[in-house]
This record gives sequence, structure tokens and C-alpha cells, in this order.
Amino acid sequence: MNEITSNKLVIECKDVSKAFFNREGDHPVVDNLSFSVYENEFVVLFGPGQCGKTTILNLITGLETVTTGRVTVNGEIVDGPSPKRGLVYQTTNLFMWYNVMKNVEFGPSVQGVPKKERRKRAQHYIDLVGLTGFEKTYPVKLSGGMQQRVGIARAYCNEPEIICMDEPFGHLDAQTRYLMEKEIERISGAEKRTVIFVTNNAEEAIYLADRIILLRNCPTSVKKEYCIDLPRPRDYTSAEFLALREEITNAMDKVI
Amino acid sequence: MNMKKRITEGIKNLCLSLVGFAVILLLWAFIVQYTDAGLLIPSPLGVAQRLIYVITHPIGKSYTLPMHLVISLRRVMTGYCLSIVAGVLLGVSMGRLEMIQAIFRPIFEIIRPIPGVAWIPMAIVWFGIGETAKVFIIFMGGFVNIVVNTFAGAQRVDEDLMNCARMLGANERQVFFRIVIPFCVPYIFSGLQVGLSTCWMAVLAAEMVAAKEGVGWIITAGQDIADMTQIFVGIIAIAVTGLALAAILRLAEQILCRWRVRGK
Repeated sequence: MNEITSNKLVIECKDVSKAFFNREGDHPVVDNLSFSVYENEFVVLFGPGQCGKTTILNLITGLETVTTGRVTVNGEIVDGPSPKRGLVYQTTNLFMWYNVMKNVEFGPSVQGVPKKERRKRAQHYIDLVGLTGFEKTYPVKLSGGMQQRVGIARAYCNEPEIICMDEPFGHLDAQTRYLMEKEIERISGAEKRTVIFVTNNAEEAIYLADRIILLRNCPTSVKKEYCIDLPRPRDYTSAEFLALREEITNAMDKVI
Repeated sequence: MNMKKRITEGIKNLCLSLVGFAVILLLWAFIVQYTDAGLLIPSPLGVAQRLIYVITHPIGKSYTLPMHLVISLRRVMTGYCLSIVAGVLLGVSMGRLEMIQAIFRPIFEIIRPIPGVAWIPMAIVWFGIGETAKVFIIFMGGFVNIVVNTFAGAQRVDEDLMNCARMLGANERQVFFRIVIPFCVPYIFSGLQVGLSTCWMAVLAAEMVAAKEGVGWIITAGQDIADMTQIFVGIIAIAVTGLALAAILRLAEQILCRWRVRGK
């Protein structure tokens, strides 16, 4: 096990279970899950498709409530959505009637940050994600990768305590995906944040993570943790990378 | 290249539509000139001359053609604006609030298939033959279409999108004005388009039944004195005005919904 850079506990999931109820009965999705995330850590939740990864994020962001157990962020129990917890979506979920600038400044704007200040802040994040010059463009005219950059800038611009990313590159083509992985690494290097990143792609997980939390199949819980200490930027084809990839892929539950 | 192609395509279509108009006009002139139909149909030249004449000279006792148009337009706009306010309010609240939907939807579904003109007898009994009756008939014509479309839009607002706004710190009022309403705007506009044409039809119907002025009246007055030219003048005025109103609305839509336009 490797040393974690900071020891300040930010996210704590303790004995969390979540079940959905319908006419056929209980449908447990998360079963007795516990893990912690520390300040400025980039943690990847990695697991097979449909295992309940998105549900875990929804519990952390407060879009869903736990059936039993407890989720805390900076010591506060999560009991609903809050601007303290940002989310980057699988589908970009941009506000199509707002241009890039207005999308990015949405959070500060609804919270009453004065225009001059929020414009400055939004511009900083627009520049950070590489969308300089597209401030006045409407999302419909942007490519999938650019739309996802807007989503990332929008989450960062709200300056949340944690940022959750739910398979943000799942819908992108392979080439754009590699590019965006590099971009996320650059962005999270430039602006240190506590990030939880969900994916079912082993390569993406190893490329980005400080720590990978491997999840079991549904109903899910933590199967194993991996601290990734390969130097950044990581090389997809290095021997260590490939060995890790094989190890983690083999450890993952198989689903048909 | 592409732009150039689009322009030549546009010119070609314009020429073809002009050819269409010319054929109709020639056919019309020919029929009037060489058949007995000339007794029942005025000649195109006659209609054109009369059109120009009535711009400055009154039809009937007091109003010129532009004055009649202004009177009709004022009625339409009063009824139409009222139907926009009421229609958008009811449509959005039915789409977003289940209780409102439960209360109003059954009533609305009963009113919905009734065409605006079917309200004419009722409106005259309730409000007499004054302006109120006409505005009411126009209102009923527009209202139904605007509610139907706004309701469809408000129901389709993406739950994820609203949650996304909430997670960024928006309260419910901000979610409503910044997410729900903009999301509905394209739907509202399709309601406004249909609503405008039904309102325009309703004013003519209302004026043909009970009025002493307005473009609808021009037609019935023409019928009363067997002046076919006057009827044609009325019909042409109605068509051109209807077209112009729709074009203005389309322009407004293009400006308000420019975020939907793809391409460079």
C-alpha cells in the first residue's frame, strides 16, 4: 500500500446499502459498501457494467438516499443535492439554450455571485478546458468531446468540495476518448480537486487514478483497492501499465 | 461552394413559384375573357384595380381597406394575446403540476375538439354582438392549440436536466425560469403558429356573422350587394395578412430559438 498525499478525509461511505423497491420486490443494488476518499485524491470506481456504479455516485451527490448506512462529505451527512458536490454526466446534460459561457457560469449565477466575478471565474475554467473562443457558441454546434469539456468546466466553476464524474467519456469515440483522458489528467493536475471518477474501462482507470476501487457485481460492494503510483503522464504501453491492466481485468467480476 | 449552391437552388425555386402564379393568373384571365364564368368571376385586372382603389377610398360608408384590416388585426391581437397568456399558464402548470393536470385536463379534453367558430352562437348569447363576443371567439380559437403544445413541452422536460440545475445550486424558481420555460419555448412556438392561424380564421368567421367593419365584413358585404370584385379583394387581403403574420412569428421564433440551429 502506498502513502496517500493528504490524510484529510473527505468522502466516507460507511456500511452503505441501497435497494430499489417495486412490485416484484426488493432489488438490492448496493450491499454493505464502505470506502473513503481523501482530499485531492483522484479515485476511480471501477466495476462491471450495470453493477451499481452510477447509484453509488447518486448516493454521494444526494440524488438518491441510502437505504441503510451513511454517506458523509467533509463530515456532513448527505441528504440531498447540493452545489458543494459537482457532477459531470454520462450524457452531457448541457443547457442547450445557453451558450458556453452561460452554461459554465450557471452555478455561480443562480447562487448570486456578481456578474463580473463569475464571468472572470467562468473564463478561467473555459480557458482551462481549452474552449477559449467558444464562449458565445451554443452547445448544439459543439462536438461530443467539446460538449463534455463544457460539462467539466461547469462542474469546476461551481468550485465544489468534490467532483463526481459518471463515465463522462462513455459516449465518445475511441480517439476523442484518449484525448479527453489526457485532458482530464492535465486539468486535475492544474486544479487539484477531490474527484470520484466512474468507469468500466480498465485502461482509463489506470491512466487516471491515484487509487482504483474495484467493485463487485450487483449488488455491489468493494472487492479490492489498488493504489496506482506509476509516474504521470502514464504510458499505456509500458510493462507496468500492462501488467496492472491484466491484474485488474482478471480481478473484475465477469458478466455476460 | 455550398453557399453558392444554396443560392442558385433558392433562385430556381423562386422562379418556379412565379411560374406557378403566372399560370394561375393567365388561366384566370382566360376563363373570365372567353367563357360564361366571366359573369360570376371578376377579371384579375379588375380585382387589382379595385385593390389599389380601396386603399384610399372607403369600402361601404366609412373605412378604407387598411382601416378594415387594422380593425380586424386589433381584434385578433387582443384575443390572441389573451390566449397566449392563459394558454401558456395552463399548459405549463398542467405539464408540471400533477394536481393541476388532474383538475383541468378532463375539462380541457372536452373543450379541445370544439372549433373556435362553434362558439359563435354561444358568444353572441353571452356577450351580445359587440367586441367582447369577437374577442372571446378568437381567444377560444388560439387557446386550445397553445395549451396542447405547451403542455406537451412541459411534460417532456428532462428530469436529469432539472436535477443538474439543482445540483449547481438552483432553487425551484430558478429551475422553472431557467430550465422549464426555455425548454418549452420551441413547443410554445409551434402552438403560437397554429394558434395564430386559427385566431385569424376565427376573426373572419366572427366578422362574417356579426360586424359592421373588418375584413370578414368586406366579404359578407360584397355578397349582400353581389359585388364579386369586393369579395375577391377581401379574400386577397385575408390571405396576404395571414401570410405576413405567420412570417413575423417565424422570424421571432428564429431569433428566440437560434440555439437549436445546427451547422457552422
